[in-house]
Amino acid sequence: MSERKGTKHSAEELALQRWDKEVKRKKKLRDTRHFVRILLATMIAGCFAVLFLMPIVLTITNSFMSASEISANYGQVFATTDTGGKVYISDKVNLKFIPDMVSFSQYITVLLKSPEYLLKFWNSVILVGPIVVFQLLVAAGASYGFTRYRGRIKEIIFFVYIILMLMPYQVTLVPNYLVADWLHVLDTNWAIWLPGIFSPFSVYLLTKYMRRIPTSVMEAAQIDGAGEWQIFRRICMPLCKGAMCSIAILIFIDYWNMVEQPLILLSDQEKHPLSVFLSKINSGEIGLAFAVATIYMVPPILVFLYGEDYLVEGITYQGGIKG
Amino acid sequence: MKKNRKFTLAAVLAGILFTALAGCGKSGGNQAGEDGAKEGSVYVPEFMQLDLTCDYMDSFVAAGDVAYISASTWDEEAGYSGVVYKYDLMENKAQQLFELGENENIYGMIVNEDGTLTMVSGSDNYVFDEEGEVVENSFKMSAFRISAEDGTVIEESDITERFPESEYIYIQRMCGDAQGNIYLSDGNSMICVLDKNYQKLCDIDIGDQWINSMAASKEGDVYASVDGKLKKIDLAGKKIGETVGNLEIGWGDTLYTGMNTSFLVSSNSQVSVLDLSAATKETLFNWIDVDINAENIQYVGELSDGRIWAITREYKEEGGAAYELVCFTKKDRSEVAAKDEIVFGTMWMDSDIRKQIIDFNKTNSQYRIVVREYGADDYESGLIQLGADLTTANCPDLINLSQVDFAQYASKGVLEDLYPYMEKSGIKKEEYLENILKAYEVDGSLYGIMPLFYINSIAAKTSLVGEENGWTLTEMLDLVDEVNPPYVMMYDSRNTMLWYCVYQDIDEFIDWESGECFFNGEEFIRALEFAARFPDDADVDYSERESIETLLHEDKVLLMQTTLSSVQEYQMMRGMFGEEITYVGFPNKEQKGNLVVSASGSLGMSSKSKYKDGVWEFMKTLIEKEYQDSLVNEHGNWGFPIRKESLEKQFELDMTPNYYEDEDGNQIENPKTTWGYNDFTIEIMAATQEEVDAVKALIASAEKVSGNTDQQIINIITEETEPFFKGQKSAADVANIIQNRVQIYVNENR
Amino acid sequence: MHVSKSREKRKALQQENDGAKKSVKKIEKTGSNPRTRRGKWISAGYLFPSAAGVLLFFVLPFLIVIYYSVVDNPISHQFVFLDNFVMVFQNAAFQQAAKNTLTFSASAVPLAVVLSLLLAMMLESKIPFKSQFRTFFLSPMMVPIASVVLIWQVLFHYNGMMNEILAFFHADKVDWLNSPYAQVVIIILFLWKNLGYNMILFMSALSSIPKDIIEVAVLESASSFQIFWRIKLRYMSSTILFVTIMSLINSFKVFREIYLLKGEYPYDTMYMLQHFMNNTFSRLDYQKMSAAAIMMAIVMVVIIGILFLTENHFGKDVEG
Repeated sequence: MSERKGTKHSAEELALQRWDKEVKRKKKLRDTRHFVRILLATMIAGCFAVLFLMPIVLTITNSFMSASEISANYGQVFATTDTGGKVYISDKVNLKFIPDMVSFSQYITVLLKSPEYLLKFWNSVILVGPIVVFQLLVAAGASYGFTRYRGRIKEIIFFVYIILMLMPYQVTLVPNYLVADWLHVLDTNWAIWLPGIFSPFSVYLLTKYMRRIPTSVMEAAQIDGAGEWQIFRRICMPLCKGAMCSIAILIFIDYWNMVEQPLILLSDQEKHPLSVFLSKINSGEIGLAFAVATIYMVPPILVFLYGEDYLVEGITYQGGIKG
Repeated sequence: MKKNRKFTLAAVLAGILFTALAGCGKSGGNQAGEDGAKEGSVYVPEFMQLDLTCDYMDSFVAAGDVAYISASTWDEEAGYSGVVYKYDLMENKAQQLFELGENENIYGMIVNEDGTLTMVSGSDNYVFDEEGEVVENSFKMSAFRISAEDGTVIEESDITERFPESEYIYIQRMCGDAQGNIYLSDGNSMICVLDKNYQKLCDIDIGDQWINSMAASKEGDVYASVDGKLKKIDLAGKKIGETVGNLEIGWGDTLYTGMNTSFLVSSNSQVSVLDLSAATKETLFNWIDVDINAENIQYVGELSDGRIWAITREYKEEGGAAYELVCFTKKDRSEVAAKDEIVFGTMWMDSDIRKQIIDFNKTNSQYRIVVREYGADDYESGLIQLGADLTTANCPDLINLSQVDFAQYASKGVLEDLYPYMEKSGIKKEEYLENILKAYEVDGSLYGIMPLFYINSIAAKTSLVGEENGWTLTEMLDLVDEVNPPYVMMYDSRNTMLWYCVYQDIDEFIDWESGECFFNGEEFIRALEFAARFPDDADVDYSERESIETLLHEDKVLLMQTTLSSVQEYQMMRGMFGEEITYVGFPNKEQKGNLVVSASGSLGMSSKSKYKDGVWEFMKTLIEKEYQDSLVNEHGNWGFPIRKESLEKQFELDMTPNYYEDEDGNQIENPKTTWGYNDFTIEIMAATQEEVDAVKALIASAEKVSGNTDQQIINIITEETEPFFKGQKSAADVANIIQNRVQIYVNENR
Repeated sequence: MHVSKSREKRKALQQENDGAKKSVKKIEKTGSNPRTRRGKWISAGYLFPSAAGVLLFFVLPFLIVIYYSVVDNPISHQFVFLDNFVMVFQNAAFQQAAKNTLTFSASAVPLAVVLSLLLAMMLESKIPFKSQFRTFFLSPMMVPIASVVLIWQVLFHYNGMMNEILAFFHADKVDWLNSPYAQVVIIILFLWKNLGYNMILFMSALSSIPKDIIEVAVLESASSFQIFWRIKLRYMSSTILFVTIMSLINSFKVFREIYLLKGEYPYDTMYMLQHFMNNTFSRLDYQKMSAAAIMMAIVMVVIIGILFLTENHFGKDVEG
């Protein structure tokens, strides 16, 4: 508008100015309403936040209770039945956020006295680490394949991926068992790794993302003489960094909590991850449950702290080639 | 081009499908492995009477096709007399080699490299006084070498002092290595090694481990199986060496020196060869497949022509034993007249049934029964596998139903009605205890038969419960309230009571036919309320209680859960209660709480079987006169035969008194036997008619089979009753939840 | 006057979109030139490792499942065609499980989508501590499943917190986990676990809606409802589909929690198809399991198909 200074005000410009004023008035009106609305939203969000945070806070604070305090609060608490169901036997329940006396006895037991927990923790790392890394690698390639030169066959294959991804694990677990047996990897970590690495889940997510990169970007590179590898490596991957991180978090969380696969594919209990142990904590070890759970939460929490922004920004492609 | 691509895609998909199917076939084949491969070779047995008679074989050694057997014979007058035979296994001919002295016993023999025979013997020398009492006895152990040609003694030496620590040493195994050293094992944890000149080299003590078997390998080294592992004896280190390979040698397995391989291993189910250099163990055949009852195996060996031989012993009914030499020849399956295979699926192998199967296989030219033992490795998973197989085409033709809830499977139609078969072969239903047959009956069809059964019940004084063999829960509760005894039962925790009232006959609450459950009914709620009166399992300490016989005697306990398998047992129970008793049974709304339990297995036929006639042919042998009569036993047979006439014979036998003649020539009744229960013992005389009638009445009152309640149901009930027992929920609430959850289980399993 | 201006703006945007679309089409059309054909094969090569793995560990197993479903058992290989399906379909437990799974997914998934969208919009309205709130809502993802189950027990057990709260208001105790309320409890658990992530997906979708379009709409004095319904939803249609699919996947995963809460045979309203399959599997009854799995797969294909069609219908004009 500044360039037009000094020239004659045309009718058109007058109209524009009037319009501008109108907008400002409307905006002011909205601001007051806006404030009330934000206050309300904050309060609601606050309530929700408390509800959402409660379990994690409970788990952490209760891990600082002594075993006796836990059994006092939760009575005889959970006795596991043979079915895996849990019986809650206490007469009175006492959800306490703050321990009467802060005690590290749970941690001392878990970390120092019984090395089996740390061993199982290590098992979890061993099992989950390669899955996250290699699933991402495989998925990156596959997504690139799905993104470039989309055709009918690829679309059909992609649809098959989606269907497979949606299958509950019970469906594939038995045949997976047979395949693992056939490959002679039963009872080894490979039985968990291999199906994990080729899981269609991340392929689906990453393809979804990659397909939003404008074709023109890759096309331009192609015209500039870049080969497929260069397009993949120099253009696709940097653009997908955020998405890959967010998918890595999701895979990590998913496999960090796996229970069924190790139970069926690894008969050797020594190899079981901590998640399996956690899921069948019985009355005898309830005192330790919170400390073990807290320790088990450390990696996910770290992952979230470092990767939350990726999680937020990574999923939807929005940036064009700016990033 | 597009068409081409489509074609390729179709071809690839078809290829994948084909591979997948082939893969399935392979994995399926593995699962069926226990049934034996259809191609390949089989071992065919040849049975021969042994060319010597004896009552007992003390010791045995084989070298090539020749065996040396030390056998003893019992004679009323002469006592034991022992002879060492040289036995030509190829020709099945025995040659007497050496005669042993009085009270002399061969512990072991070795064939030396020069062909002579080294034997270690022990002999007791008794010095008697005038009255024939032993005043002194001495024990002597000697080692001697004899010629294998004519039995002349080459050298002999006293080796008693080699074992100074033990007063009396018993040598269970003896073998020699390539250097001529002699290894003697007591079968516990000691191995004593002597050199060629019978001087002690060392004692090897393996402490708290057990030597299950010891033998020299073909290569001439001595190995022992210790706690399921094969270990070489380390003579230089004077200890048992490290485990060889990863070869599992079971507790009951015996090692024999091989001729073509290192060892032969005989277990109670099969014989296998062990190759030390390759560290492999390979099964040759299952004993039952070659018609051998593994309990009868004495010795096993290999012949130079590759045949396997075994010496078996079978006790004769009239006393003594019949020995047989059996040679197993490997033949191509095609050479052997093919028999139709009937698969017998069972959780465990009952010895009576096994004997019948072997007899059947030996004599029947058309069928052969193959055993599939489900509970052999892991009982729990075996039971699941059996349950799974029953509902699929992998179902065994012949099934032992005693571990499964047969009503569940009968409702699925996987079991065959047996009445038409009985009719067809002219076996009259009336000849059998119809109420016991009824235990495996659903809607007039018979799904299982048990040749031998006993009764599971609750016993109480007749003065309290009356003479009726059966009562309802209400009647039981009334009695408990009326008498109010210190203990209702000896074992009366909450769960035990729940067991007696609910699990023992779960079919009272589940109708598999219609899929209905009745857990929210009055009967179940009452049972829960009753069980709630008793202490939690964790809170009772039975060890504080006096013994059941004392409690009974002092009227401190009202009821006793017990089984009844013979008239003599009834006599004992009556003696223990001290007055008239009634087997009143577990509480049941139809007053049918005396439950039938099969003593040797209940046999059912799969409705999918291809060889139903063959299955029936075998089943028939178990209920026919001959077998049923053989079950009659003076001391009872841990069960009653199901055939009326045979049962009458049993009763007759029970009522026949045992007499002996005193000095004056009077016939005096002798107790038939002595029975005991904890500290209580009673001499059993001939049963009275009244006692037999009581047992008959009890048997007549039983017509339900003791249940096999699924663990899942028990888990659900245990889980959900907890809040009721803790006083947090009402019994009706809890019952409704149980009804809801068990209903899902029932629906899912129909 | 200003109306026409905004229209121009919109038109220009539309053209931009169209242009992008055309260029896509152009490439597809030029697919026959040798260079792109080579590229096609190379890109297929990128797909290969994953495709091979998926074939071996997912497709092949699924074919085995199909095979199991049409034979009477894996050893005798007797072909029975649809017998297994008929048997499973008539099974009362399967019917119950299918009904429960359907009602659960049909109520939990839309709830998860709607609630998380509302949450996202709430956080998008520039409230303070936005990023903290976001972290809080994500926190359930970090808690190990066993702890979740433990805490849910404490909350919803007969003697749990919820009943104490009810007692405070003098209401009768409710046996949450052993009553028709059980499914509600599971839905709450599901929402609690999944709202956070869904919300994040929506937040990023919301923030990626071109601001100018909304501004234009505001200028055109569209009501905020109209803006939401006509613009935001359309722009987010693919995200909605995505969130729905993710929620659907997660709604099947809730079995793990139910299983840890109540074992193999829970109260009938919590009994899911996964229970049926899990139990038939542990009883080695592969035929029933496979037939049930395939029926479930067919329903899934139909549902996903419908979802895609809907997305195509609504989101066509904004998708690049």
